[in-house]
Amino acid sequence: MTFFEEQLKQGIFQISYCEKCNDTIWPPNEICPICFNKSEWKKSNNIGKIIEFSKKDSTYFGLVEIDHGIRIMGEISSTSIPKTGQSVTMNVSFDSKPNYSFIVENN
Amino acid sequence: MNNVAIVGTGQTKFSKDDGDIEKLLFESTKNCIQSVRNCESKDIEGVLVSTNNNSKYLGAILSETMGIQPKITHSIEHLCSSGTNALISGYAYISSGLADMILISGVESATNPGQVLEWDKSRGNFEHPIYWASMLTKSHKRKFQTTEEELAIVSAKNHKQAMDNPFAYSNEPRTISEVMNSKQITDDLRILDCSRSCSGSSSILLASEKIAKTISDQPIWIKGIGQKTTSASFTKNVLEEIESTRIAAKTAYEMAKIEPNDVNVAEVHDAFSVCELMAISELGITANDKSGEFVRDLFNTENRMINPRGGLIGAGHPLGATGISQTIEIATQLQGKSGKRQISNLKTGLVHNMSAAGTSSSVMVLEN
Repeated sequence: MTFFEEQLKQGIFQISYCEKCNDTIWPPNEICPICFNKSEWKKSNNIGKIIEFSKKDSTYFGLVEIDHGIRIMGEISSTSIPKTGQSVTMNVSFDSKPNYSFIVENN
Repeated sequence: MNNVAIVGTGQTKFSKDDGDIEKLLFESTKNCIQSVRNCESKDIEGVLVSTNNNSKYLGAILSETMGIQPKITHSIEHLCSSGTNALISGYAYISSGLADMILISGVESATNPGQVLEWDKSRGNFEHPIYWASMLTKSHKRKFQTTEEELAIVSAKNHKQAMDNPFAYSNEPRTISEVMNSKQITDDLRILDCSRSCSGSSSILLASEKIAKTISDQPIWIKGIGQKTTSASFTKNVLEEIESTRIAAKTAYEMAKIEPNDVNVAEVHDAFSVCELMAISELGITANDKSGEFVRDLFNTENRMINPRGGLIGAGHPLGATGISQTIEIATQLQGKSGKRQISNLKTGLVHNMSAAGTSSSVMVLEN
């Protein structure tokens, strides 16, 4: 299990970045793909916005952009039809694969 | 660089049932070698196998079974575009002078490990292709006012065209209304908008110019090749674009010294209905906001220019064989040997094959 996955299991979304290049590294990696130095980690602020969404059965899902322009797919909880650009808060977990879920703010 | 031609082709019927990888490979290879006059197994200097199957040493196994002792043999995996990647590797061996004749055989079983890219952590637990396809479809509707009917026409057209393809997994016609009322997978995707993973095999024999002219009356020349991989993670895509296709197409057109409007016939990677609309735009065949209208006109005028064999939606999608089957269709069309689905007056054809939500694309230009 990688550090990223271990942290997801504890409910924390860690973002890898390179201090030297001052750039985010996504997908998470322990090495910067530009300078090959060891990456650093910082916690996401767990806030994002909806880029696109759809619905399967009664569940909304979609592509959400969180801090540093990272885009991930997950379930979207909303009492009404979501909108693109809408702000969401993120929860994460890990059970054999990452699970990201989003709640529409001011729901 | 040596010129490279397609001199032989062979296929099996595609099926939605699981198939025996080795049997399928042997069948399409046998059909391919038998399609060429004066070709003996000993003349084949390379054997490349394209598949997502986990079987090992398939190149050597296929070679031994077919009585070939090649200089070069190995497998090639690149998800859904494994087939064109194998063909382009074969092209490179011949054009560089390392070999004069290469067999490229693609094969897949309907249940195969190439359908989901587990590595892509950005997909969370929405790993299956139906989820990225839903994002692309919704986004296309939003940006280009694409209608559900225009999306359904892609599937209806390709199912209709597949009826004249004896290798297609299904020969059932589907009306626009049937597509629009087929089982809903997500709010933006119906079951008939989706290509189906199939079992099947397709093989091509490539040869250098000096050999091609002695064993084929109608060699089909590979005039242009373009490839681009922009990422492995789907979520780095701009949803309304397939950048890898746009870049690969530009490279292929430049190499072939043609323009998009020189293309007379194309097989494009319609993994889902929206992919055909996006592909024909990125290939420069039509404008983004006109792709729905373009496909509607093709359907209404029974013009088979795009996906004459039925594409992935109509013919089926045996991942490792798909790019090879697409190429066989364009080669056969350019030879005038496509029977009921033959398009007249062809000079230039195009093959577009891609992987993992368009993160990687291959484009080939063929001429007769």
